[in-house]
Amino acid sequence: MIAGICGFLFTIFIYLIAKRLYRYKRILLFSPLLFTPIVLVIVLLCTHTSYDTYNAGGKWLAYMLQPATIAFAVPLYKYYPLLKKHAAQILISVVAGSAVAVVSSALLALLLHVDHHVLFSLLPRSITTPIAMNVSEMIGGVPSITAVLVLITGLLGSVIGPYIISYLRISDDIARGVLLGTSAHGAGTAKAFELSPISGTVSSISMILAALVTQLVATIIISS
Amino acid sequence: MKRLLILLGQVAFFIVVSIIMNALVSILDWKIPGSLLGMFVVFLLLQSKVLHLEWIETGASWLLAELLLFFIPPSVGIISYQSLMLHEGIQIFLVIAFGTTFVMICSGLVAQSISKRKEHTRP
Repeated sequence: MIAGICGFLFTIFIYLIAKRLYRYKRILLFSPLLFTPIVLVIVLLCTHTSYDTYNAGGKWLAYMLQPATIAFAVPLYKYYPLLKKHAAQILISVVAGSAVAVVSSALLALLLHVDHHVLFSLLPRSITTPIAMNVSEMIGGVPSITAVLVLITGLLGSVIGPYIISYLRISDDIARGVLLGTSAHGAGTAKAFELSPISGTVSSISMILAALVTQLVATIIISS
Repeated sequence: MKRLLILLGQVAFFIVVSIIMNALVSILDWKIPGSLLGMFVVFLLLQSKVLHLEWIETGASWLLAELLLFFIPPSVGIISYQSLMLHEGIQIFLVIAFGTTFVMICSGLVAQSISKRKEHTRP
């Protein structure tokens, strides 16, 4: 219990340091989503603390992902007219992106001879954690491995996203949001909100659509 | 102090909604997460003016601004898969890195080309 509370407070403490460092110097290592887990993993390993002990407190922070997901209703409401105007564009791009996510994961995993359990756990990795775990279980993956792969995807996505945006010269706010939300769920969406409120909102709706499309396709494939 | 109380109250609102929605999906045995249902419900309440934007806007902005913090404990979970990461970590990393790049290129370019087409058709 005490270890849990320490884990909880320590996570917030390191996160605040990372935020300050990142504001001071915008280098990749100081990005809170990279810096904080690295420090925590090192501390847990050095102090021989198990993940379960840490997570007794950590899970309360993770639970806040759910109220935060509900909070997406606010930008959704504020930019509803804009979203409605671009609905077709967003939907087509998200469906294309989600198809690429699943197919490319499968092909790359087969190519690199990844274990079958891991392969099925990898397929839903680009969508938001709760639905990804759901899909993973349906198709015969391991939900807890999927959760970690989803997070690695989010982390990598929010790091490489800005480079891809500038390399492809994607100047459109809508396209930027679609790119980040479809590929890197909530972490990508947090990045998109850094770019502009419009990109952030489009990213959150893309994240939701990608999750729904993937869940729907998985349900159809399983029941057929 | 007053601002902090307002923020806490509004965040508490979202927590309560998530608890109610989780209970609801488990009672109804729906296959969607309670938080997604909650988002739709709050959106509809805002649209129908039952909820006013200013009642929840501060809390929502804070939750979204600190979103990354909530991702951290689950990502530390990688520590439980040390042997998997030692044996297949590089392959997994490559699959995710290339896969994510493909998704970004595809979705970004499709969205961008649709925007451009719209601009062209406009007189």
